Amino acid sequence: MSFRHLLLTLAGALTLATSAATLADTPPPLKVVRIATITFANNGKVGHTAESAVLENDGWLQAELKKRGIALEWVPVSPAAVGPQVNEGFANGRIDFAGYGDLPSIIANASGIQTRLIVPGGPGSNTYLVVPAGSSAKSIKDLKGKRIALHRGRPWEYPFSKLLAANGLTFNDVKIINLNPQAGAAALASGSVDAFFTLDDAYLLADKGVGKIIWDSKQSAPDWKMRAELWGRKAFIDQYPEITQLIATAHIRAAHWSAQETNRKAYYQLASASGTPLSVIEREYAGDITPWKDRFSPLYDSFLQDHYRDEVAYARNAGVIHADLDYRSLFDTRFVDAALKDPALAGFWSPRRGQ
Amino acid sequence: MSLSLPLPVRALPWRRLINHPGFLLVAPALLLAAWQTACNSGAVSPQLLVPPVQVWRTALALISSGELWQNLSASLYRLFTGFVAGTVGGLVFGALLGTKPRFVVWFGPTFNLLRQVPGIALVPALILLFGVGETFKIVVVGKAVFFSVALATGESIRAVSGRWSEVGELYRLSHWQRLRYITLPASLAPVLTGMRIGLNRAWMVLVATELIASESGLGQMMEMARQMFQMDVVMVGIVLTGVIGFALDRGLRVIQRALLRRQGANA
Repeated sequence: MSFRHLLLTLAGALTLATSAATLADTPPPLKVVRIATITFANNGKVGHTAESAVLENDGWLQAELKKRGIALEWVPVSPAAVGPQVNEGFANGRIDFAGYGDLPSIIANASGIQTRLIVPGGPGSNTYLVVPAGSSAKSIKDLKGKRIALHRGRPWEYPFSKLLAANGLTFNDVKIINLNPQAGAAALASGSVDAFFTLDDAYLLADKGVGKIIWDSKQSAPDWKMRAELWGRKAFIDQYPEITQLIATAHIRAAHWSAQETNRKAYYQLASASGTPLSVIEREYAGDITPWKDRFSPLYDSFLQDHYRDEVAYARNAGVIHADLDYRSLFDTRFVDAALKDPALAGFWSPRRGQ
Repeated sequence: MSLSLPLPVRALPWRRLINHPGFLLVAPALLLAAWQTACNSGAVSPQLLVPPVQVWRTALALISSGELWQNLSASLYRLFTGFVAGTVGGLVFGALLGTKPRFVVWFGPTFNLLRQVPGIALVPALILLFGVGETFKIVVVGKAVFFSVALATGESIRAVSGRWSEVGELYRLSHWQRLRYITLPASLAPVLTGMRIGLNRAWMVLVATELIASESGLGQMMEMARQMFQMDVVMVGIVLTGVIGFALDRGLRVIQRALLRRQGANA
């Protein structure tokens, strides 16, 4: 290239370098906040989880962000592999927040991806043990030595381990077949596994007559439910704490709305937009010993802390994570504390006791 | 008898150099360099794009723990069994397609239709039919091999040159003699190519199937590692899948060349 070109290029590069150096101190203005949410294909429309649907309906968060010139983007995640997709999204900075389960977030943090629990809560899903319709098994004890389909690394692996432990069994006493929920359902229907451990899609199998539910977590301690909560990328939280506060407050508002008995039916309706039939949702939430309000509690009480302490220990022992993790490092309580100063929300939830 | 005149080649030194077989390694080396550069640039998180050295270390760890061989042997067993089954079936079906016009009329269209369906799309249906055990994976492999071999066999038999058939008739060869001395040798090259293509397709489909619905095997190892966010294990799986696919292809090519050379020598 000519000398003139070379000179111009060097000048341009120098300008860029110096401007980049000065800008490195202040975070660039935020244009969009990206929250990952599980999306379901439902009759040609896209359905979301109830939690994000409640937020969308409320509209408060979008309005507050718009005032600051920031857009809210829901990043879709397929239910077949939520954990890996969200973890990958956090790792390469493509998402800032995600409503997803506890075990994948433990895996992420143990692998060096820094995320923080911003708002605990969400109703938690019950877990179910399904056997083929013609099976004679009555409880997990009858399944000793048999093949059980379980998707590893998903949040309901931990409740499954508790079910085994409560019945004096270990993972070595059963043969775990690692299949995603769709493949697991197909395997159960064709009889090539003896049991399937999953969430409320168990009702779909029972309705079709190919499976029967022999155990569910409704009568067990609330700790046995699958948990999903709001996690945020640590880099984002450090750079934009006020925006994080907005998002946390919005989620607590949504939890407050969902937790009221008067809104329960409306909540079911929103949940059914994800493609799960209303009858399944009603059965999933019926007959549960855990009070409805408690299922949405965003408090970092001893119940939550003990749950994470035990789950991290389980993950380490089971070889799900390969590095030690201090469970306390996962929590960032500032945002919930600030949001609960609001008189409308303060005192609505009482702390639950740990196990 | 073939006439081969040694053509005088201008033995330019640099031309001899770049024709050296060692240059096969240039492209892989460049790829490795690009990979390492991408890791060093910091553009992608190191948890997602694992550096080559780390992948190598993980591979060694997997080998020593026995986990790699356990999964690899499961995959290779399915591949081998499905390949044998698919080849035998393909040869028989292809021979019928090639020799019996009525067979083509009856089964040709259905065969072509089924051939278009990708194996991976059939996985849910196959699970319902065969369960999630070994059978359905062997069927997936067999399907890929069968269609490739059957097509190659049928086409090559039909394409046997008219002049050779005339020679057969002149010599009043029996049906079996014609098959043995004319048809089979003539279609050997295309059939072997069909087997090679079928094997490659089957390997790719097998790993993809194991990602979805398996409790052992290379694909399952990768999927499980993805769930546990062990991207280094995933990379080991990716590299191994490629290397094995390459090795299978090369191996069959060598066999093909050896068989055809022997055939050429007898001609």
